[in-house]
Amino acid sequence: MSVRGATIASVWLWVAVGVGAVDLEPPDAALSARDVVSRMEDNMRGVASSTCDATMTVTSPRLPAPREVRFRCWEDRVGERSFIRIVAPAKDKGVGFLKIPPNLWNYIPRVERTVRIPPSMMMQSWMGSDFTNDDLVRESSVLDDYEHVFLGVDPEFAALDGAPRRVHVIEYQPHEDAPVVWGRIVVWVDAERFVPLQQEFFDEDGVRLRRMSLGDVREVQGRSVPHLWRMVPLDKDGHETKLQYQSLRFDEPIDAAVFTKRNLSRRE
Amino acid sequence: MGLELRLAWRNVWRNPRRTGLTIAATVFAVFLVVFFVAMSAGVHEKMIEDSVRVHSGHLTVTGEGYLENKTLEYGMRWGDPLLEALESDPAVTGIAPRVTGFGLLSKTAKAQGVMVMGVDPAREGTVSTLPDRIQEGRFLTGETPRGIVLGSRLAKNLGALPGDELLLYSVAYSLEMAYELFTVVGVMRLPEPALDRRFAAIRLTDAQEFFVYGDLVTEVALLTSSAEAAAPLAQRLRDELPQPRARPLAVHTWNEVMPDLEQLLLLDDAQMYITLAILVIVVAFGILNTILMAVLERTRELGVMLALGFRPAAIFRLVYLESLMLAAVGLGIGLALAIPAVFWFEAHPIWIESEAMAGMVEMFGMEPVMTWKFKITNPIGSAATILGIASLAALYPAWKASRARPVDALRAI
Repeated sequence: MSVRGATIASVWLWVAVGVGAVDLEPPDAALSARDVVSRMEDNMRGVASSTCDATMTVTSPRLPAPREVRFRCWEDRVGERSFIRIVAPAKDKGVGFLKIPPNLWNYIPRVERTVRIPPSMMMQSWMGSDFTNDDLVRESSVLDDYEHVFLGVDPEFAALDGAPRRVHVIEYQPHEDAPVVWGRIVVWVDAERFVPLQQEFFDEDGVRLRRMSLGDVREVQGRSVPHLWRMVPLDKDGHETKLQYQSLRFDEPIDAAVFTKRNLSRRE
Repeated sequence: MGLELRLAWRNVWRNPRRTGLTIAATVFAVFLVVFFVAMSAGVHEKMIEDSVRVHSGHLTVTGEGYLENKTLEYGMRWGDPLLEALESDPAVTGIAPRVTGFGLLSKTAKAQGVMVMGVDPAREGTVSTLPDRIQEGRFLTGETPRGIVLGSRLAKNLGALPGDELLLYSVAYSLEMAYELFTVVGVMRLPEPALDRRFAAIRLTDAQEFFVYGDLVTEVALLTSSAEAAAPLAQRLRDELPQPRARPLAVHTWNEVMPDLEQLLLLDDAQMYITLAILVIVVAFGILNTILMAVLERTRELGVMLALGFRPAAIFRLVYLESLMLAAVGLGIGLALAIPAVFWFEAHPIWIESEAMAGMVEMFGMEPVMTWKFKITNPIGSAATILGIASLAALYPAWKASRARPVDALRAI
């Protein structure tokens, strides 16, 4: 058995006991892990820009009822810049986030102040949700920063939407010098549409910290795009954040002035 | 027995210079042991008192689980039932309720991570010295809303002066964004640089509003008479405090809140005791040497005594007594010198003048002062140790002396 074979076999064992998935079929011979990731990336991110309307719902034992935040977003994928404007609740209306790598700025209209979120706060909660600030600004390239290992194929993966889907299960192992906060990530990729349906994030000690499930896959301009993202931290009971996109549009022209600090501190 | 005592005492002084030197060495060792144990006790007590008065208090009452997680989840209701229960215990001399949270503080766009503590301005001074540490401006008062007091290094890093408006930014207990402008009213110097760089205090009521925390607090710090009184008081409070239905209360002593400090003190003690043990052993060998020399010199005399009908056991006792007397005289003089010295230094602590040394000490959050503390266990323990080791060291010469055979002994020079 080659070293690679041994590695894959041991990873298989890992999947069986650690990830806790059902028995996987061996990977498709015709596709490498990198092919799958590359096609998924192409589907998910192969656009120059995007705009969105979304609602984030945060559930927590702290809250008597889930809390909703509505926002609009603009993303320039080429320049890796993005802009978010909070629409609701009324108290936070007009709050803006501007990402111009490597910085993340936050404008608060009620006090007319802009704050640069320091690197030490990157792993902190974004707006009280189970997403982190890092999730907002992450620049690491899935293709360049990780080694991809094909764990197998699950023919009947129970996706968030309900209907079982055939998925490729792929593990991302970060390169040693990659600017990545996770020890490894396992991704379940829809075999037909090349859409991620689930991601699990592990720390360096192999502890599974959070799971993101994706669903509500809709066709947008010829692409299959999940419109529902559900993040569950696995170390905290009763916490959950759902991100529902009401609309996602690609490659609409965005004025470059959107991604400026002047726009960030513009009162609406 | 009376004869043996007299003989032993006389023998001790047979060679006054040698005996004098041995006694001097013993005096020196006893003095050092008592003096340094007292200094360690004094310095450690000062370290503990300084540390608890920075903010933690001798005791901390929290919701169960708070100490491990330090998040707002573990709050407890602050109101009359808890206050009255704490006030009813006479050992509680100070009560300071607080809400501690974390966030960002910024004057311009450049933000600093801070630990922000909501304190009751009227009560805080009963536990901590925070209100006395003001360098510029003043401490928080009950009347002015949304004032903030900063650690001096934090103020410097932010470029903030009294009167400036700062944005405090965090996530509220309700998971909303929490942001509010606070006006700097004062700058305080905290002894620990790591804390001074990230500590900010606001009013308790402002903190409760900012974090959308209702009438909850994260901790209540308590002061009592001394670090030693903390453990029994903690036990009593655990039994007597009214337990809320939602989450039980936990009572922690200072060493549970600051395990690093306790570890540091233990390590320091261990180092000191090892050094002192070496000193005591060296002195014990000095005693052994002196007595052994005396015994070897007196071979003929011991032979005569045996020939006159002294039992070997009596010879053993005689020589053994000589060693103990030597040790006891040294011990007596040593204690007579050390105990007054300790009392004198206890009344006159030494302030460290050197800037570099003072800076190093301040790193650990203490004032640059050396203090002594007399505890009765110190001379008793020192005496027991010195006598114990001396009596072990005396065994060999005594045994050697008792083994002399009259015929050989009489033939010796």
